[in-house]
Amino acid sequence: MDEPAVIVAFWVLAALTLGSALMVAVVRDLIHAVLFLILSFVGVAGLYITLSADFVAVVQVLIYAGAVSVLMLFAILLTPSSARDNAPVPYSAPLSALAGLIGAVIIFVAIQTDWAKAGDEGRFQATAAEIGRALLDPFVLPFEVASVLLVIAMVGAIVLVRPAGEEEGA
Amino acid sequence: MTELRTPPYVVNIGPQHPSTHGVFRLRVTLDGERIVDAEMVLGYLHRSMEKLAEERTYTQNIPFTDRMDYLAAMTGNLGYCLAVEKLAGIEVPERGSYLRVIFAELQRIASHCMANGTFINDCGAWQTPLMYMFREREQILDLFEMTCGARLTTNYMRIGGVAFDVPDEWYPAIEKFVREMPARISEYEEMLLDNEILLARARDVGVLKPEVAINASVSGPMLRGSGIAWDVRKAEPYCLYDRFDFDIPVGHNGDCYDRFVVRMEEMRQSVRIIEQALSQLPGGPPSVPVPLALRPEPGEVYARIESPKGELGFYIVSDGGPAPYRWHVRSPSLINLSVLKEMTVGLSVADAIVTLGSVDINVGEIDR
Amino acid sequence: MTLPVAAWYDFDPLRELYDWLRDHTAGEVVYVVAAVVGAVGILTFVGLGALVNVWLERRIIGRIQVRRGPNRVGPFGALQPVADAIKLIQKEVLQPRVSDSKLFNLPPILVFIPAMLTFAVFAWAPDLVYADLNVGVLYLLALSSITSLAIFVAGWSSNNKYALLGAMRVIAMAISYEVPMVLTLLAPVLFAGTMSISGIVDFQRHYDVWLAFLLPVPVLVYAIAATAELNRTPADIAEAESEIVAGYHTEYSGMKFGLFYAVELINSLAVSGIMASLFFGGYSLYGIDEYVPPWTIFIGKMYYFYLGLIWLRGTLPRLRIDQLMAFAWKMLVPLALINIAVVALEVLLWRELELDDAVLAAYVGVNFVLGGLLLAVFFRMLTRGYYRLPTRVRLVHDVSVPSLPAPGSAFGP
Repeated sequence: MDEPAVIVAFWVLAALTLGSALMVAVVRDLIHAVLFLILSFVGVAGLYITLSADFVAVVQVLIYAGAVSVLMLFAILLTPSSARDNAPVPYSAPLSALAGLIGAVIIFVAIQTDWAKAGDEGRFQATAAEIGRALLDPFVLPFEVASVLLVIAMVGAIVLVRPAGEEEGA
Repeated sequence: MTELRTPPYVVNIGPQHPSTHGVFRLRVTLDGERIVDAEMVLGYLHRSMEKLAEERTYTQNIPFTDRMDYLAAMTGNLGYCLAVEKLAGIEVPERGSYLRVIFAELQRIASHCMANGTFINDCGAWQTPLMYMFREREQILDLFEMTCGARLTTNYMRIGGVAFDVPDEWYPAIEKFVREMPARISEYEEMLLDNEILLARARDVGVLKPEVAINASVSGPMLRGSGIAWDVRKAEPYCLYDRFDFDIPVGHNGDCYDRFVVRMEEMRQSVRIIEQALSQLPGGPPSVPVPLALRPEPGEVYARIESPKGELGFYIVSDGGPAPYRWHVRSPSLINLSVLKEMTVGLSVADAIVTLGSVDINVGEIDR
Repeated sequence: MTLPVAAWYDFDPLRELYDWLRDHTAGEVVYVVAAVVGAVGILTFVGLGALVNVWLERRIIGRIQVRRGPNRVGPFGALQPVADAIKLIQKEVLQPRVSDSKLFNLPPILVFIPAMLTFAVFAWAPDLVYADLNVGVLYLLALSSITSLAIFVAGWSSNNKYALLGAMRVIAMAISYEVPMVLTLLAPVLFAGTMSISGIVDFQRHYDVWLAFLLPVPVLVYAIAATAELNRTPADIAEAESEIVAGYHTEYSGMKFGLFYAVELINSLAVSGIMASLFFGGYSLYGIDEYVPPWTIFIGKMYYFYLGLIWLRGTLPRLRIDQLMAFAWKMLVPLALINIAVVALEVLLWRELELDDAVLAAYVGVNFVLGGLLLAVFFRMLTRGYYRLPTRVRLVHDVSVPSLPAPGSAFGP
């Protein structure tokens, strides 16, 4: 983990992630904001790779940058054009102060934690086989509940967009 | 829970569009993907032929009929010459009539090759069946070129017969064509007709109910596709058609698929007619001499033929002079288009394009 | 990092350079040099592949259409792709004023990146893999989802009704067909026990059986799903020229359009490569790969399936978007799910009960029979509506007009 290449990669990816996350909040057009969000997802995937978590990195790209962002784009396109402005909101000063406070707390905790020791305790080989075993043995209940939740979401989506009074056609 | 309302928007299909078969403009109002309203804007190819014809003699008007339906020039010529002969009481010799029938049926096959080919092109098959059908069309156009020198705007029929007699090399060429064509049509039917993707695209798309078709005076393969057995060649036989034995294909449902199959089958029946005409071809002159500036008796005439697109009619009023007083064409494509809105409302844009392809319009004929 | 045992077709100077670098420079340099050389090699292959594919596509579709393809530029038209590229480069670069200028130039680049990256995980020979990821299969799926994003940005930034329509259709189709694609790509992973592509090819080589024989239904479903993902006929509504002019790349002119077109061809090659690796044995051909360089076998198989894709394009008409969606959700997804269940059961029995390897032959038989049954049932279910009317017309000898209905009933007021 101390090889120069990894350190350089970490700083570049961190800059990419944080920079695009900042642009999400700052940029004017909502579609541009979503695109910067996708960029930050990809940056996070890169950070996963520096941690040798290959499965999680690829799944991050597949799910977040591939599916969740498409969902967000569809949601934006369904809103009228007038509401698509990333305009300043009221109470921006107190809200920014709150966000700054939360950020400061997180940074303080992150600096204070002894990461080497914390990493040692939860030794976990994040390869696909291990994740699969984990999902089916200790974490099987959340896994099944998540699938049920997804089915409910799909059924709900279909119910929402069905034209009124029409039965399902081909 | 509020409904998601989306406002309808207007989209222009054409006049420059790869598949509107000419300069044809269709303004569709779309609600999502469904068409709510379809408005045709015509006239992009208007060349005022009917007015120009009033300044020219009857013989000089024959090239106009080439260029109206430029994909079926022979039948255009035929309709016009029949109308003038009816007006002036001219009798055409038998050989001339037989040659006219042969060339009209050849033109029908060529036009249907083009129509079906472009129809499947609209369905998306990247011109492969079109190229196959063009193989046949090339043979037919070569036959035309042998006889009258032109492939597309043939200007072959004259008032009183045909312009030239056929050369010697024409006979083996047309025998070869007649021998090979039925096998080729069977090949097309085998490759195309039971194709599930074609069925999915064209079955139950653009349905034209028979009573709507009759009330809108639709004619040609569109009418026959809707199940009505009507063919001008059988109903009012002109030009010796009552001497030939042929059938009319009639569809079941009136959708694009039925029209497609009707056109395929009509090609086969046309080959039958050509075979019979060739075997009965008499000798003699191909035409009677007719004065250059023909002055028919004052009167009016309406003559109609079955062109590949439908019933092509000519209404000519003569005032005794060398040029007609009024020259009007009942163009089948224009009348067939009047039901386009009925057929396309409720379909998606892709289906509308397919339906337009199956109507088989020719904008030269619509706008004249 | 070791190199494989030398065979007669290995390139010795390269091996000597590698050994010298490893012995005489710091540890990282040889890695970087190898990476750069490999990347240049893949890029060359991809670039040349695009050119060759353009030529192949045009000549073969020409032959399917009873005509020759291009034959003027160079012998047998071989320089036609070069002529196309030059033509596209020298075209005027148009950008609509109302387009989103910051985003407009991005999609051609963005869509090229996943196409190129797909080739990094292929196993060209034993131990000749650029990036032997443990999650190779998942990596391929992630790349295809980036492609659909790039297409959306293309459609959006054009600020054109038609382009946006095309882009939305593409996205809807891409996410619909990703589901059967993921499920069918899971089947080889189940059998091989690993997600790395070289591992799956090793499995096929070790047991001397192609996974296509063990898994006929996933091969078919993957072929169809991949055709739809690639936006090739019969699923090319995205660029359905006869309907919405050119879909999401309507507003792109010159080389930008050329890039979209090239990427479609490169993606087709990549998908053929995936099919060849995962289902048809990759670089192995029942032992011939000891006498012939394995990468020639692999490239041969890739182009074999690419020819199949060209054949589909030249022959079939196009389906409508709602028909495509119905086909994906009603036929492919259930097929893939049933198949995954069966395959998982088979793999469980094989591995847990430690059955003899001859049981694989039995699996081949069972899977073919089951696959045939499933396909027949689904096909009958989906196409029942098309055959309710006869597909031929009836011939009538005399005219007859039915009696007209009462006036004012059918048409008009």
